[in-house]
Amino acid sequence: MAERAVEELARLERILADAFQSPDPRAAITAAAEDATLPAALRAHLSAASLDGVRVAGLLIAKLRFERLMHGSREAGEWFQRDPAAFAAAFRRYHAEVAPTAEGPLQEGAAFARWFREADSGNA
Amino acid sequence: MIGVGFTAQPEERYLELLGAVLREEPDYLELVPETTWRPARPREEGGDDAPIAPIEPNGFHAAFLELGRETDKPFVAHGVGWSPGTARRDEARDARWLERIRADQAAFRYRWYTDHLGVSVADGRDLTLPLPLPPTDAAADVVRASLERLQSIFDDVGVENSVFYYHLGDPLDEPAFLHRALGGPRMHLLLDLHNVYTTAVNAGFEPERYVDALPLDRVIEIHVSGGADSDPAWLPGGRTLRLDSHDHAVPEEVWALLDRTLPRCANVRGVTLERMEGTVGEADVPLLRDELRRVRRAVESARG
Repeated sequence: MAERAVEELARLERILADAFQSPDPRAAITAAAEDATLPAALRAHLSAASLDGVRVAGLLIAKLRFERLMHGSREAGEWFQRDPAAFAAAFRRYHAEVAPTAEGPLQEGAAFARWFREADSGNA
Repeated sequence: MIGVGFTAQPEERYLELLGAVLREEPDYLELVPETTWRPARPREEGGDDAPIAPIEPNGFHAAFLELGRETDKPFVAHGVGWSPGTARRDEARDARWLERIRADQAAFRYRWYTDHLGVSVADGRDLTLPLPLPPTDAAADVVRASLERLQSIFDDVGVENSVFYYHLGDPLDEPAFLHRALGGPRMHLLLDLHNVYTTAVNAGFEPERYVDALPLDRVIEIHVSGGADSDPAWLPGGRTLRLDSHDHAVPEEVWALLDRTLPRCANVRGVTLERMEGTVGEADVPLLRDELRRVRRAVESARG
């Protein structure tokens, strides 16, 4: 397998992973598709993406992570029940700032708790 | 051909409501192996620098093994965690995953293993949802190489045509891509007809055009399921996309695709009805039993 082709696929994966962690995946993918520093073939692939489809995929990715967190953290679930708007704002920040590497709900809950402690101490 | 399959989901209510259906209707049970696992120790104890813990079975692992012993029904595996399209793989992650699935194979004796076409682990990040690959030879080579690795554990491996809500090329190029990606020996296609229907509705093409271009001789299993439209608040102008949510009845269009496609799949071994946990109430139980019986009629009709 040509190393250059694999590197290009890996680069595409990084762009998409960054986009789906960003607050606006559509804007991120549109910007990448117009980035003249990227190879033309890669930009052509990104240009083919339906932006409505990107939006729905981004929402589903965030929803799946939210559900994993709800299953893994009683505290997060209670916060969501108590104040959905404040929790949603915090979750959006968490999703953007913390790479999704948790394996299962318990790790997601632990990662969220760690992120919240650090964010809270930064605000203090 | 084994016959008719049904998904066994790791949820107590699902198993309680559908216990009799699971025992009486299908010929085999389909499991998502990763839903029967958990990391041995939450990473919180050692933070991000802690050694990666092995994966161990959760409570449903033993429950499903017992169900298999009790009913004498074989299992097939439909994974979500291998990410066949990932270009640069994390060898440590792969080693743990392979160790666990190898142990599972010794216990469950899966008849075959399939995962989802696409990338669900991208740049080391687990996005959970499979993302589409560019329709290139290099991407097809990546998929084929990842399936070859699984053949040290399973005789028969494959990918499902995933549902993608956007594409990095023409969605009707995907069948040709699957020809290339599944070009190795004992590599198969799990043909998900609801995914074909959903993609066709969203992208605006006739699903038969996609099916007719597939390597149908490679189809080992067919999936049927239902879905729903996305929330109108999600997209500008209230536009909706159909979702592969496995939360409603199989639509008539998918039944028609099954009747049309099944007789043409010479090497198919089973047709599986999929249903998501958390979407089954008491009223759904007889409907799901009826759907399994309709699958059986389609299988028997295709056998002639």
